[in-house]
Amino acid sequence: MRTLRKALSVLGLLAILALLGGCYSMGVNIWERDILAKPEMQFDHEATDRAIDDHIYFSKEASSGGRGFGGGGCGCN
Amino acid sequence: MQLNRETSVRGTLVALTATLLGHSGAGAAEPTHADASLLIYSESQRVTAGEAMFRFRRQLSDPYSLSLSLQVDGLTGASPNGATPSRQPQTFTRPSGNHPFTVDARETPLDPGFRDVRYALDADLTRTLNRMTSLTLGGRASVESDYSSFGFSSGITRDFNRKNTTIGISGSVARDVSRPLGGSHEPFSSTRVVPEDGVPDRLGYQEDDDEGGEAGHEPKNVYDLVLGVSQTIDRETLIRLNYSLDHASGYLTDPYKILTVVQNESSPDPGEPFDYVYEGRPGSRTKHAVYAELLRHIGGSVLDLSFRHFWDDWGVNSQTADVFWQWPVGHGTTLQPHVRWYRQSQADFYRPFLEEGAPSPRYASADTRLAQFDALTYGLRYAVPVFNGSYLSVTGEYYYQKGDSSPPQAFGSLREYDLFPDLKALMVRIGFSRDF
Repeated sequence: MRTLRKALSVLGLLAILALLGGCYSMGVNIWERDILAKPEMQFDHEATDRAIDDHIYFSKEASSGGRGFGGGGCGCN
Repeated sequence: MQLNRETSVRGTLVALTATLLGHSGAGAAEPTHADASLLIYSESQRVTAGEAMFRFRRQLSDPYSLSLSLQVDGLTGASPNGATPSRQPQTFTRPSGNHPFTVDARETPLDPGFRDVRYALDADLTRTLNRMTSLTLGGRASVESDYSSFGFSSGITRDFNRKNTTIGISGSVARDVSRPLGGSHEPFSSTRVVPEDGVPDRLGYQEDDDEGGEAGHEPKNVYDLVLGVSQTIDRETLIRLNYSLDHASGYLTDPYKILTVVQNESSPDPGEPFDYVYEGRPGSRTKHAVYAELLRHIGGSVLDLSFRHFWDDWGVNSQTADVFWQWPVGHGTTLQPHVRWYRQSQADFYRPFLEEGAPSPRYASADTRLAQFDALTYGLRYAVPVFNGSYLSVTGEYYYQKGDSSPPQAFGSLREYDLFPDLKALMVRIGFSRDF
C-alpha cells in the first residue's frame, strides 16, 4: 500500500512537471489583467479568515498543511 | 462583486501599476492593508472558543514590506478525556490533581474544566530583490499557560513567463514546549494514586500540582517546507499547486487524554472500566500534503475550488474539498456560500479503549481526532462595503463530524454506548478589512 502511494506520488509529481511545461506557454499579457487584478482573484484574499478556519480545523482534525505551513504553534492538538 | 465602469478602470490601473512596480497582485499595490476577524466557535454542550486575529501589511520604503499578525484565542468548556462510558457514574480528577468531576452513567466522559488563552504574534519582512524575485523572512511566537512556540521562517518567490507563473519555496523551524498542568506522565501508567496509607485514591493523578509549578518540560521541534507554483491560465482563471512537508519530533502526546482499560470478555462485567491509563504517541511524525486550488471568474462571480490530499507516518490519510462561490448582489455587496467536505482514516495506534490482561501496545490514544470520521461544513458569508476601501463581512457556518459510534472491536457493555458522539458546532465570524 505504501509502495503504491509512493508510486502515485512520483507519478503525481511527474504529472505536475508535465503540466508546468505546458503552462509555460499559457498566460496573459499585461493589458489583459483587469479581472486578475480584482482582490477576490488573489489566492491570499481572505487570508485572515482562512487562517482562523485552519486553526479550528487543526484543533479538531488530524490533518494540517497544504495551503501553508502545517505544524505546531498551538497546544490544541 | 458587480463591476461598474469606475471599478473596472481602477482595477486595470491597479494591475498596470502593480506590474510596473514589479508586484504580481493587485492587493500588493495598496500601500497599507489591515484586516481583522473575530470568530466564535461553539460546540453543543462542549467547548466554546473565541478567536480574534488582526493583520496589518504595509509597504515600507522600497524595496521592503512588512506584515504583522496578532492572534488571541480563548477556550472554555468540556472536552472528551478519552475514557469510555460506563453503567456506573465515573469520577475523574483533572490533570492538575484537583477539581474532581463526576460523569453520569452511560455518558461520554467530558472534562468540564478546559480553559486557556493563547496569544500569537507573527511578523514577516519581504524584500523585493528584483522585478521577478522577492525574499521573505519571518518570526513567530505563541504563548499559552501550558504551551509555547517560537519559530522563524524564510521563503523566496520568483515570477516567470511574463509573471504568469510564480514558483515559491518556503521553510520554517519552530521549537514548541509543552508544560502540562500536573506534569507529564509515563505512557500507560495508571491514573490511580496509591498513597502511603495504602488506600487507593480513586483516580488521583501522580503529580498533584495545580499551578503547574512542577509541570514537565516537554519540547518538540517542528520543521516545515512548502513548495508551490501558481499559474495564470487565461484572463479569468488561476491555479496553484502546493506540496507541504512537516516533520515534528519530541513530545507529541496529549497530556490530558487517557484511555479506559476495560474488563475483558471473560470477566463478570465485560466492557466496564477496570483502570484508566495515560495515552502514549510516537515521538515523531512526518506529514505530507498536496494541495490544488482553482480560482475562476464566471460572469462577475468568483469560484474558488480546492482539494487537499494528506498523509502521514501515523497512518492517517485524509481528503479535503472546499468550494467557495462569491456572488455579487449589488452595490458592492457579495454573498459567498461555502461547502467543505473532509474525510480521514484513523491513526494506526488509535484505540477507543484497552483491554484488561492484553499486552500493552507500544502506542495508543483514544483521542477521537485520530479516529476515522467524516466532516462537513456549510456556510454563508455576506460582505458589504462600509466606506471607501473597507469591507465588513459576517459569516455563519455549521460544522458536523461523524465517526463510528460502535466500532467492531467493542464488546460487552461497550456495545451499548456511543463511542464516537457526533460533534456539531456553530461558527460565527465577523471580519473587517481596509486598504489605506
